[in-house]
Amino acid sequence: MMPFIPPRLRKPVGIALAGVVFAAAWLARGGPLWWISILAVILAAARAVFLYWAGGQDTDVGALAGSRADERQKLVSLRSWALACNLAAIAAFVGLTVAIAVKATWWWPFVVILAVIGLGYLLGLSNYGAAEEGTPDDVDTGHQTRSPVNS
Amino acid sequence: MVQEEGRGHLRASYADREQVIDVLKAAFVEDRLARDEFEARVGQVFASRTYAELAAATADVPARPNADRSAGTPARVRQQRTRREMSQAELAAVLGVSRQTVISIESGCYLPSLPLAFRIARFFDLKVDTMFDPDEPEAGA
Repeated sequence: MMPFIPPRLRKPVGIALAGVVFAAAWLARGGPLWWISILAVILAAARAVFLYWAGGQDTDVGALAGSRADERQKLVSLRSWALACNLAAIAAFVGLTVAIAVKATWWWPFVVILAVIGLGYLLGLSNYGAAEEGTPDDVDTGHQTRSPVNS
Repeated sequence: MVQEEGRGHLRASYADREQVIDVLKAAFVEDRLARDEFEARVGQVFASRTYAELAAATADVPARPNADRSAGTPARVRQQRTRREMSQAELAAVLGVSRQTVISIESGCYLPSLPLAFRIARFFDLKVDTMFDPDEPEAGA
């Protein structure tokens, strides 16, 4: 993703873009709290600068921030994301349960979060090969797959 | 090993020489042989014509040095690196990984992927199964 951007700039640019989009949405919303959009831009810029600085450090976090992680660092990141996703799913389930118990009207965001996590997992299974198990070679050879005793 | 009772006078094959060189490599990895000794014995193996001459090259090396894996993968990687007087950062640069990953391999916290294991073994001019033991537990796992 974003191959035309130098690796160290990829995450800072992503964060900065996300901050600008969020600030624009908040500004479009209008109202007396319009100044929060400026705050969002400042926070996103600070985060982008931090990521750029971290990307120059000779550490695992620096390698991840600078988009130059090797296989072990990518594995560490993958495991961390998996843990974060599991915790998010548990938190969303607890939130949904509580919302239903107190008859609140804000139950649906938890359903959306759980649905996104579930669909994302299914997409991952499909994308990363669970549906491509191949054909067993005994189909091609015509060999019996079951014992004649049991069939 | 190669020599059996009464076979010493028989001519050795290319495969026999390869087998003896594998034993010498394993002994070298386990610090039983210094580099100059190792190189001299490899030359001796290539010059050997009979089983008796081949057996002389490994006479003072345990019959199955590969079975003695007490050093473990982390120690073997560290031994090979220090033998070449390389820093962890230099080895990392050669292998295309981070210094932290070399540290993790040498401390037993990470078993490298198959491609990386091949890169490490090739760099040290050893076989993968001489360098890595898949049965060793991963400390960080």
